[in-house]
Amino acid sequence: MADRARVRVGTRTRRSLAKLVVGVAFWAWVVLRWLNDWAGGVVVPRQQPFVPPSLFTGLANGVPDVVPFVADALGAVAFAVEFLPTLVDAFWLTIVLTGVATVLGFCIAVPLAGARVYGRLSAWLALGYVELFRGTPLLAQLFVLYYGLPWLPAFFRELPWVGAGFLPGQAVFVAILGFTLNSAAYQAEYIRGAVESVDPGQLLAARSVGLSRIQGIRFVVFPQALRYAIPGWTNELVYLIKYSSLAAFITVPELFQAAQGIASTNYRYTALFVLSGLLYLALVVTATTLMEYVGNAVSVPGVSGTGSR
Amino acid sequence: MSADDLLRVDDLHKRFGDEEVLKGVSFEMAPQDVQVLIGPSGSGKSTLLRCVNRLTEYEQGEITLDGTPTSEMDENDLRRQVGMVFQDFNLFAHRTAKGNVTLGLRQVLGLSKEEADSRAMAQLDQVGLADQADSYPAELSGGQKQRVGIARALAMDPKLLLFDEPTSALDPELIGEVLGVMRDLADQGMTMLCVTHEMGFARQAATDIMFLDGGQIVEHGPPDTLFEDPERERTGQFLERLTSLHGDDG
Amino acid sequence: MPCPVPVPGGLSPDWQYVLENACYLGDGLAVTIELTVVSLLVGFAAGLPAGVVEVYGHRSGSRPVRWASGLVRNAGVVLRGTPIVVIIMLTYFAAGISPAFLAATVSLGFRSAAYQAQIFRGAIESVDRGQMEAARAVGLSKVQSIRHVVLPQALRRSVPGFQNEVTIVLKDTSIAFAIGLAELLTNSYDLFQSIGHTTAIFEVILFVSGLYFVLTVSANRALEALNDAVAIPGGERG
Repeated sequence: MADRARVRVGTRTRRSLAKLVVGVAFWAWVVLRWLNDWAGGVVVPRQQPFVPPSLFTGLANGVPDVVPFVADALGAVAFAVEFLPTLVDAFWLTIVLTGVATVLGFCIAVPLAGARVYGRLSAWLALGYVELFRGTPLLAQLFVLYYGLPWLPAFFRELPWVGAGFLPGQAVFVAILGFTLNSAAYQAEYIRGAVESVDPGQLLAARSVGLSRIQGIRFVVFPQALRYAIPGWTNELVYLIKYSSLAAFITVPELFQAAQGIASTNYRYTALFVLSGLLYLALVVTATTLMEYVGNAVSVPGVSGTGSR
Repeated sequence: MSADDLLRVDDLHKRFGDEEVLKGVSFEMAPQDVQVLIGPSGSGKSTLLRCVNRLTEYEQGEITLDGTPTSEMDENDLRRQVGMVFQDFNLFAHRTAKGNVTLGLRQVLGLSKEEADSRAMAQLDQVGLADQADSYPAELSGGQKQRVGIARALAMDPKLLLFDEPTSALDPELIGEVLGVMRDLADQGMTMLCVTHEMGFARQAATDIMFLDGGQIVEHGPPDTLFEDPERERTGQFLERLTSLHGDDG
Repeated sequence: MPCPVPVPGGLSPDWQYVLENACYLGDGLAVTIELTVVSLLVGFAAGLPAGVVEVYGHRSGSRPVRWASGLVRNAGVVLRGTPIVVIIMLTYFAAGISPAFLAATVSLGFRSAAYQAQIFRGAIESVDRGQMEAARAVGLSKVQSIRHVVLPQALRRSVPGFQNEVTIVLKDTSIAFAIGLAELLTNSYDLFQSIGHTTAIFEVILFVSGLYFVLTVSANRALEALNDAVAIPGGERG
């Protein structure tokens, strides 16, 4: 007899409501910052904070020495306020790198997974690709693309508009290529695992109704497989968010690079790495929350990757 | 109600969330009684069993084992005295048949390896599985698994044995061997509280049959009375349905 | 440093360069392997108790255990949500943990612990609830039940996830590049950045990637053998 003592509450709890409010406020502020800077500094000059840090340092000075923590806290806020604009500017590139690479990687991963499961010669080629990109460090792959194939960055540099206007420089494109190829390999494995966990009886039933193999795969296997793949895929998304930081090593001006850059001028390494760490964390939490929402929205009783049966 | 009842359940209430599953159940069992509990699914039979060995906690009522309220006992101590046999066997998958029996003997009763081994072998012999002592659960048939489950529970030398639909997960041809073991236990004077649909077993071995419906005991009595001349119509209807499904085998 | 690796003639100068410096790369390889093994051990030592606490802790009767369970969960979220680059920089530059090998081991180790805790948690939760019930029904205490019934089965089921973790840690040792630790990727970077040999980068990286690949495959095969060795007879599928 099922123990129904631990019933999951589906409606909003106080805690998840607080999380939602904080999340929305955070992203609203981030978007405002971006819009401000891209429009050339509409509300405040580019990379200048909305609220001047001097406000907080002033407050900190005004607080009596009896309460030391408050002064320190205000000082920390002032620091954060001063440098967050620059960090958030670079944050945009992190998000772009992750988003584009994930989507492009998915487009490659689906046929790759299909080849792995259903192909013959293509299965071997796909296996080679996947083993190669999953068996070597991402950083080494980036080095190969950027330093090892000098014609590659040159190729991107020659493309029109690259580096000018709002299109980023060639290093970013090389980074996107590297992340895409790498991510495709991992996503292919998650999708393959999901496809293989669909009961073979499903395809059998589809064929017996008269659907062709392709139709069976498209209308019966994949819809289920994609739902099973959600946890693994979310995993890969989080992975890419964090490893986009490696692009710093091939001169891409993303978040980690920005934090390092500032720290080399004022030596406040801890504070800046903690700040950038918080931004990464915010992105990761947002991504997992969104994917949880997506998972629930598309969930069908009995077909779930969360392990509940 | 007598002072030397082995088990006494007084006004037991249990709710899961908004639903009250047990609505004031009371009964007693004397030593060597074989009590069979029947009823439609959802009537709370399994829940009742789990309350007796406190695998499930209850809100209201009192359960007394051999004069001591179970709520006052250390739960591990209680479960040493009350054994349980599960519908899904729940054999420890990573241990052999013998290993399943010796685990409790060594860790709970503190027996030495030799003592535990010999007692386990004796117990497995009693259920007819001495030659399977070194087999793993995955290598055993359903009936064999359940007999190991019974041996595991018996090895602890319990005062009371709880059976939660012990044959419901078995293929029909394997039910007989388990019921045989249960009948032998009853003959040897084991006190047993069984949830089961096997009416043949109930007719032959039970001292009392309780009909539980909607969280309450609708009627209870010796097998002959209940089968030939039940007081309530519901009882008769339910028994008829059961017998036509499960017959008189066993 | 003279290197005993024979350099066959007739190779391109870039490949010759790689083979001449094979021992230098070999030193880096040794550091990479040490880093991987130590980090995984740290991760196991911290991750297994963390996983157990996370599964069973929040329902515990005692306050400190519940508190520990919450702490473990939140620490895990932070460790799994922060880029390893940031973690290692904080460890080395901010917290000043020195030397670089220690900083790298601490960073990789505790991050691995956070991931291993999830692996063990998943494995523990995949063990049928009936196993725990049967153990309790026989009279075993909660701790005894976890130790004698749940964990033996959970650990066997953790091997595939652990396999995954091994390859991840192995590849992530390359992040020690950021703090100048002389592991495999750092040494290869030195090689192809040195004057006059920048054309050799492709060969160097290819060679080094081959080494990583060989390590990954060997580790996977070894763990698969382990998986077979500890499997429960009778065809229990993990």
